[in-house]
Amino acid sequence: MDKTRLNVPRRIVLAAALFAAALLAVPASADQAAEAFVASILDEANLVFQNPDKEARKESIEDLVDKYVDMRRVGLFALGQYARVITDEQKAAYLPLFRKYATTIYHDLLEDYSGQRLAVTGSIDRTARDIIVNSQAVDARPGDPLAGVVIHWRVYRDREGRQAIVDAGADGVWLAIEQQSQFKSVIANNGGGTTGIDALIAELRKQTGG
Amino acid sequence: MRGRAFKAAAAAVMGAALSIAPAGAQIGVGDVETATEELERAAENAAAQNTVDPWEGFNRRSFHVYLFLDETILVPAAKAYRAVTPKKGRKGIRNFLDNAQSPVVLVNDILQGEFKRAGDTLGRFVINSTIGFGGFADPAGRMGIPKHTEDFGQTLAVWGVPSGPFLMLPIFGPTTLRDGVGLGVDVAIDPLFHVETQAANRARYSRFVATAVSRREPLIEPLDDIQEKSLDYYASLRSFYLQARKREIANGRTSYEDLPDIGEYEEFDGLE
Repeated sequence: MDKTRLNVPRRIVLAAALFAAALLAVPASADQAAEAFVASILDEANLVFQNPDKEARKESIEDLVDKYVDMRRVGLFALGQYARVITDEQKAAYLPLFRKYATTIYHDLLEDYSGQRLAVTGSIDRTARDIIVNSQAVDARPGDPLAGVVIHWRVYRDREGRQAIVDAGADGVWLAIEQQSQFKSVIANNGGGTTGIDALIAELRKQTGG
Repeated sequence: MRGRAFKAAAAAVMGAALSIAPAGAQIGVGDVETATEELERAAENAAAQNTVDPWEGFNRRSFHVYLFLDETILVPAAKAYRAVTPKKGRKGIRNFLDNAQSPVVLVNDILQGEFKRAGDTLGRFVINSTIGFGGFADPAGRMGIPKHTEDFGQTLAVWGVPSGPFLMLPIFGPTTLRDGVGLGVDVAIDPLFHVETQAANRARYSRFVATAVSRREPLIEPLDDIQEKSLDYYASLRSFYLQARKREIANGRTSYEDLPDIGEYEEFDGLE
């Protein structure tokens, strides 16, 4: 089938949908589609949190991260300005290691919520394609330090309208931003440029044990 | 552990922000104006170098000292403290130390023009110091007056003074030039600072030690976890501090405007 012809009506439909969404979204700067996207992920995650088997939980959380987090985009973001100088070869080594590293971090963030439930509380659109969806633990035990913590999900919508998570944070502190700070620092302190990127890859390999 | 770690990062910020300084810091209120001017100049220089951490070399050396003292003194003390006190008791001690800090918070509330929050601080201080057994209990919190903190670094931020370069201090940990100056001013604001008797001296040093240990105790596992999982612990703490501090200055309101764009690598989509 002719690919370009298929694309044209899809784009129009998408543009119309976005336009309609923009009209609907006038009163509050919220994004229904992104909220629904995160809500459905949290529904899956909440089921996982109920699983008493820690190992099984770990596997399921990693599956969820694999499915919904755009690790490629996050990984390139974490390189900062060095994303422009990384070679294809380095990228091939770096991205799988980054995926492994970041998945562990996401797992650690979510594992704290085992036995609890996270629910969407609202959203803020920075742009039409860059939306922050907030969530919080519902029915948290009183006195639990996590009870008042807002967990943020940054949803990125690509040109085709596909949504993916590109960052997560808690109370205004973001993971990818912290990772970028670390990675840029490792690269800069090891000679910068592609030499520094090699050092970062070595460090990531050591950290992930792979 | 990351969720807790986040919370911990935020708590660490408050810890650094609150005046846990001993009486040693000799900054008079008259020096504040000059310090502010110098701060602004330093901040401009930092902006010119286009980096948040122009003093990284000094900071990293200072971080070694910080880590050494943390590992050899503070963490063992915090572990011992945890071993000999029940959880409820530690909460009471935390409440007491926070309550003792209220005069400093109050002055900063007023300097920031946050009069409703100043009222909260004053109300909490009166209620908790009396029917809260000198501050060990928090009846004001149960009455719906929530606890908040302020410090002179935040006041300077509200007045428009830029943060200046990131600064890592031995003992005090992560801060910025502005907030480091604020720390000294907070010591000078504290009424206890102006009482010069042996007893007051002892009280000052005891409070300094107690605050440091009490704040470190809940952070034992979260900071361990961050250290273990990071490729560069220093850069990791720097980022956690700077991010959490920004929200702290905005009195808990999260700003989504200044987040960096993550979609800026759109062009890579076309490469494959």
